[in-house]
Amino acid sequence: MASRVLVHCVRSVRLLQHSGVIKSASQRSLSLVPAKWTQLVRVSSPALQLCRQYCDSTPLTLQSIEERVMNVLKLYDKIKPETLQSSSHFMKDLGLDSLDQVEIIMAMEDEFGFEIPDAEAEKLLTPAEVVQYIASKKDVN
Amino acid sequence: MAAPSRTQVLALYRMLLRESKKFPAYNYRTYALRRVRDAFRENRNVEDPKVLEQLLSKACDNLAVIQRQAAIGKMYEIQRTVVESKPNKFI
Repeated sequence: MASRVLVHCVRSVRLLQHSGVIKSASQRSLSLVPAKWTQLVRVSSPALQLCRQYCDSTPLTLQSIEERVMNVLKLYDKIKPETLQSSSHFMKDLGLDSLDQVEIIMAMEDEFGFEIPDAEAEKLLTPAEVVQYIASKKDVN
Repeated sequence: MAAPSRTQVLALYRMLLRESKKFPAYNYRTYALRRVRDAFRENRNVEDPKVLEQLLSKACDNLAVIQRQAAIGKMYEIQRTVVESKPNKFI
């Protein structure tokens, strides 16, 4: 019972403090309450504002796109990392077939999180072209 | 039906892989991906239009099966296995 009364008291004090009716009175009555509780009253502090996070990834640059594309290609098991260059043709230079090319494009979709339509996917035959295409579809600074 | 064109086959391959990735259960997912890849490689040199047509219709049937089974799998999701530590971001 006593605790319920106390809670009620604190709540009404908070309300009054919030509306700014009695500052001094609330200060006096709050001195009865442990300091831990009074801290809860403060809502808008600058620290809270700084913590606010917006859901966005880091901005892409041409260089970062190229790095990620090359990384994906290196991890693909049929490509030898040492022969890979940004100008090498998937089929002529790297010895892949059209099925591999489809898989590479799907891996790029997974990496960058957007879909590449079939008609455009079949034209992307070198890492440089892939980078160019992704850069044209995404915001690049 | 005319013999399936190259782009048609590639589009089907893409769709099969994409649908196979939707299996929530690790074992089914990796099996489906592996099986699709192997089947397409196995028949990469087929030229006969009749055989091609048969293979294509088989692939279409299997695509439907994969779609259905992946949808059912989502209704009864099971615990992740130890090998998949965290969920993939884009799948």
